[in-house]
Amino acid sequence: MKSKVISLTKVILKNSFQNMETAKSINENKNRKSKSMIILYIFVFLYLAGIIGVFSNGLIKELMEINQEQMFLGIILLGIAGFVLIQSIFSAINILYYSKDNEYILPLPIKPSQIVAAKTNVLLITEYFIVAIIGLIPLTIYGILTSASILYYISMLIVLITFPIIPVLISSLLVLIVMSFAKFTKNRNRFQLIATIFILVVVCVLSFTVSDTQTTPEQLVQMVTKANGLVEMLRGAFPTLGMAIDSLTNISFENQILNIVLLVITTAIIYFIYIMIGQKLYLKGAVGNLASGKKTKKKLNETKAFKKSSLGKTYVGKEFKTLLRNPIFFMQCVLPAILFPILIIGLTFAGIKGEQGGSITDIASMITNKTSIYVGIGILCAIQFFLMFIYISATAISRDGQNAVFMKYIPVTLMKQIDYKVMPNIVMTTFMSILTIIMVEYLFKLPVIYLLVITVAGIAMGVLQSYISIIVDLKKPKLEWNSEYAVVKQNMNLIWPVIFGMLNITLLIILTVIVGRFINSYIFIAIIAVVYLLLTMIVRNYIKNNIVKLFTNIY
Amino acid sequence: MESYLESKGRDFVMIKIENVSKSYVKDKKSIDDLNLEIRDGEIFGFLGPNGAGKTTTIKMITGILNPDEGDILIDGKSITKEPIEAKRKFGFVPDSPDMFLKLKGIEYLNFLADIYELPNEKRKERIEELTKKFEIYDNLNSEIQSYSHGMRQKVVICGALLNNPKNWILDEPMTGLDPKSSHDLKEMMRKHCNNQNTVFFSTHVLEVAEKLCDRVGIINKGKLVFVGTFEEMKNKFKENKSLEDLFLEITENEE
Repeated sequence: MKSKVISLTKVILKNSFQNMETAKSINENKNRKSKSMIILYIFVFLYLAGIIGVFSNGLIKELMEINQEQMFLGIILLGIAGFVLIQSIFSAINILYYSKDNEYILPLPIKPSQIVAAKTNVLLITEYFIVAIIGLIPLTIYGILTSASILYYISMLIVLITFPIIPVLISSLLVLIVMSFAKFTKNRNRFQLIATIFILVVVCVLSFTVSDTQTTPEQLVQMVTKANGLVEMLRGAFPTLGMAIDSLTNISFENQILNIVLLVITTAIIYFIYIMIGQKLYLKGAVGNLASGKKTKKKLNETKAFKKSSLGKTYVGKEFKTLLRNPIFFMQCVLPAILFPILIIGLTFAGIKGEQGGSITDIASMITNKTSIYVGIGILCAIQFFLMFIYISATAISRDGQNAVFMKYIPVTLMKQIDYKVMPNIVMTTFMSILTIIMVEYLFKLPVIYLLVITVAGIAMGVLQSYISIIVDLKKPKLEWNSEYAVVKQNMNLIWPVIFGMLNITLLIILTVIVGRFINSYIFIAIIAVVYLLLTMIVRNYIKNNIVKLFTNIY
Repeated sequence: MESYLESKGRDFVMIKIENVSKSYVKDKKSIDDLNLEIRDGEIFGFLGPNGAGKTTTIKMITGILNPDEGDILIDGKSITKEPIEAKRKFGFVPDSPDMFLKLKGIEYLNFLADIYELPNEKRKERIEELTKKFEIYDNLNSEIQSYSHGMRQKVVICGALLNNPKNWILDEPMTGLDPKSSHDLKEMMRKHCNNQNTVFFSTHVLEVAEKLCDRVGIINKGKLVFVGTFEEMKNKFKENKSLEDLFLEITENEE
């Protein structure tokens, strides 16, 4: 049994990681290129690590001053749990159900429990990459700053390996339960979409209710005054959080060892129970998911069915249809444009409001100079931040998979098709920019003209990003994929929008500090908008002049 | 070769492949100096073992790949120099029918009709004619994803034939089709050619090629090793062997 699980894990893992590189490469400089890519990834990793490191360093020192440094462990571990929980819903639904390898695996003489175990292992291994970034660095810094013993580092590794398992199992179990109803549904796509959103909501509600431990002001004072009392507030937020925190804090040697053992045993028991339940549920959902459902023949509406459209309308329409009808593409590419501004801006200011006990007007009065350049640039940076998560353009070619060659044999110029393909990204980034501006206006009541200028700059930034991202996808398209998930998640190309985003934010801040302060804020932001538009023209021209070359990897 | 074409009175070259070479890897030609002419009114079968270069050739004819050397003319238009004009001259059925699975059949066909600028009246007539012939009309309002392999193949074929292009280029078109649809497609191919049009298709099924094709080309390791009618093939090898044996002999001799 064991060997089957291990070899299945290896096969699924290899398959998905091979997909991370394009299979087709006719480049002679492949080696040199892949080396420079590795250097780039290391650079991005270090950049992220640096940001997390600086942030951790500051926070730990602050907490140490008030004798609450253990609170940091709670925050980081809770962050890991929350992040892994949400993240693994998408991965679980994909790896367990949507993945094309099911068609090959299900007919093999492998027990459902083995398939579930192998797929869950794959899920876990992919989550460890994220854990390495958001967990390893802060906890190591914590160890250094608190001059921890070697035991701390050993238990840190054990905690980082075991602690993310339960969040993954919770998400997977929810997915297994909901998907076992798949066979009762006629419209598979709609079911998948609704199921994923449903699970997401369940997890959010769950985590909010669990973490919403009511603390009275008196209790709070007690907690703050007691050394490392604050962390007590978080203990109940996640089942194994207490054990994980205790494994890392040196109350006594025995206690630390006992908690490590407890953590490992609890996780193992839950893993075992999960596999037991999983094998009962998995086949129901997986088989139901493979069957295309009952075929219904809907009659054509003959007056509407054969209507002529302009080329642009029909092409962009096709792009939108494939984007919206595919639950994974919809959730990964479209949903962030709507959710991010609402969730992040909304939650941040709801938090400020809650803490200060003020109303919306109080928040608006927090900003005294409403036309300050810092306000404008701040909003632009927020828009740029949200832009990093809109992958429509960065996956425009890859999403077509093997169909991408279609672009090359139809009698429409490639440049026209590129313009049509970036259109959904432009529409969604514009929508996101306007949504962000509306949120900001609601909270801060800025002058309308100033907001309009910022909106134009935000939209121009989105257009520029749309064209830059499609170059990335054209140069290294990911056309052979196992499941749609591979295009939007196991795709190293998506690091580029993040790099451009970070670069843009850095440049905006530097420019503001150096020159922006001395120029009228309206004019400064208007200049930025014009620069973005000019850059868009340059980038579009580059694509136009190199279009045949850019398409050589698509065949 | 000439004798056959002359006897049929066909001399207008619809697809012309001139000295075409293509390499994916340096110093290893996947297609080596290919020359081929397909004339009007001709069904041309393109045969060869797996990996011989059939799909690469078709990809170059349709503009998906650019040749390293040489040129390809479709109805007099160069696919590399005047790609849009050349692409209007053919309808293409790729080897995989998994096209735009999230679109409904009717949406896919309308999309292609818009691309090929088919007017309203003609489009209804053409879509109905083709899809009823292939018995998928009743499924047009469902997503292509829900179609069987054969139905997907049919909708892709309908899409390629929508604007009634002069040249049909089909990569393994019979794969997945049921006997009736396969028969109907062959009949359509014949009818199309009788109107002085051209069909160029690749296949593994030698019997289909033998019954249907006016001429065949056999490609092996990127080189064209035979072009002509089956009669010419038999005469050339002066043997009374089956088509399968002749095919194996031709391709193995080149090893």
